[in-house]
Amino acid sequence: MLKSKAMQSPRTQALMLIGPAFAVYATFAIWPMIEVVILSFQHWNGLDPQREWVGLENYRYILTSDTVFWVALRNTINWTILAVIFPPMIGLLLALGLNEQLFGRVPMRAIYYLPVIIAPIAVATMWRWMYDPFFGLFNQVLTSLSLQAWIKDWLGDREIALYSMFVAYTWQYVGFSMVLFLAGLQGVDRSLVEAARIDGANRWQVFRHVTLPALRVTLAIVLVLSTISSLKAFDIVYGMTGGGPAQSTQMLALWAFMQSMQIFDFGRGSAISVILLLVTLTIVVPYLRWSQRDEGAAE
Amino acid sequence: MTVMTTHLESETAEIKRRRDPFLIILWLVLVVFALLWVAPIVLIAFTALKSNAEIMATNAFTPPETVAWSNFSGAWERGNFATTFQNSVIITVIKVPLGLMFSAMAAYALARIKLRFGKLLLLFFLFGAMIPFQVMLAPIFTLVNGFGLIDTYPGVILPYLAFGVPYQVFILHGFFKAVPKELSEAALIDGASHLTVFRRIFLPISLPVLAALLILDFVSTWNEFAMALVLLQDRNMWTLPLGLMSFQGQFSTDYGQLNAAIAMTVFPAVVVYMIFQRYFVSGLTSGAVKG
Repeated sequence: MLKSKAMQSPRTQALMLIGPAFAVYATFAIWPMIEVVILSFQHWNGLDPQREWVGLENYRYILTSDTVFWVALRNTINWTILAVIFPPMIGLLLALGLNEQLFGRVPMRAIYYLPVIIAPIAVATMWRWMYDPFFGLFNQVLTSLSLQAWIKDWLGDREIALYSMFVAYTWQYVGFSMVLFLAGLQGVDRSLVEAARIDGANRWQVFRHVTLPALRVTLAIVLVLSTISSLKAFDIVYGMTGGGPAQSTQMLALWAFMQSMQIFDFGRGSAISVILLLVTLTIVVPYLRWSQRDEGAAE
Repeated sequence: MTVMTTHLESETAEIKRRRDPFLIILWLVLVVFALLWVAPIVLIAFTALKSNAEIMATNAFTPPETVAWSNFSGAWERGNFATTFQNSVIITVIKVPLGLMFSAMAAYALARIKLRFGKLLLLFFLFGAMIPFQVMLAPIFTLVNGFGLIDTYPGVILPYLAFGVPYQVFILHGFFKAVPKELSEAALIDGASHLTVFRRIFLPISLPVLAALLILDFVSTWNEFAMALVLLQDRNMWTLPLGLMSFQGQFSTDYGQLNAAIAMTVFPAVVVYMIFQRYFVSGLTSGAVKG
């Protein structure tokens, strides 16, 4: 062995292996997170060399004077609740169905997954066009079915724009939950299922007492990932409505971006980011602790 | 909520299953749903191939009578696709393999080398997988601007790497942890370094997982919009999603070209997915979801 002593020390080798990932992650992911907290206590337009400390002023402004913030908060919460219920539920039903030995299940899986790999900004462009009040697909179909009364300005009506957008979001992400559930279903013990069927359990009972408990870990992963991806809904809102009409579809992530990068108020934008970050952490930290405990128990 | 998922393996059950009305209804429901799901994509493809006159005159789901390829060349020219396409390719081709390598190295060390702060480090990485970067667009801009890297390839690739690493480390760590000790111990006792064991033993056996991660990472890098929007301000540095967004803004009434532009943006990701998709579910199962 001609290698130097340092090469042989496992600790040095570990540092060399972890080093590149750690450096880039700490600099470009962790530092901005610290910086956003610092910025939220400052007044800054993004250009001046001087940043002025203003204490809690940004938070005070957002919470008391910024009406858009409250709309964005309410929309983000509504959106997250919808996103945690519908795409995972439809995804689970599809996975259960497509786990059966059915004719054509492989191409069907591919069809349901296809929207996941389309750029969200392209999904926004597609659906914006389909929602067009004059030439869009939806209103054309309604006209040809003589349902003119149902015709709407899907993205221009403040009452429904958010939900129109959510339909496009669901179309895109159902396949993602489906694939995770399909993967989870491969881990369900077949002999348990058969034993239950022989004992006379019907489909619902087998699902309720055998399949669902076995999917517990998958379910937790899907729900957490759905929550996180819904909190960062950005591309689709930016591309479909830009937060309009009249800020009625504004969300926290987009509003933070607009405050900083378009209004050039980095302090207020960062304060919104910090609030969204805190919301995320209240969901993520319990999950991390739960998964760590689970791993500890398995060892 | 009566959809169910089990099937019996014995002969009699096999015969019974074939006539099971439940499965027939289930199949019909799934097919109808699949048609609904694929409809927007068919619509895009058809519209992209129709002339504007034909779009106005025919039903949306009528296949094009004469194929108007000119939509593609027209959108390519007007949307500056030559430039945006090239930028997307350069960024993706550098970022994806480099990111996977960094992640695999770190995941190996965290899973197979005993470190005093190993567990804490892993948690530190894991944390990043849960934090949406969309929250931090402004400070990312400030940081990259501070390095003088706005409108450069490294200026986007470095943040992309940073936000790709956590999830990949998480998946690969789970996979490496499950590899039996015997596989590496003999080599280590013979005096091989960890770098050698990683390269010669762990990389080859993790190819299916790496392929699954490659698809995921390719797709998310290719499609990334928010960070590119902040970090690439010069038109000549734009990636495809930025180009598409601007195309929509300018030529939104030229439906044929708009849909051709969508199709061209989406196409490469679909091709990569189709090439690697057989590894996809198997790769994911071996790492993440097994629990």
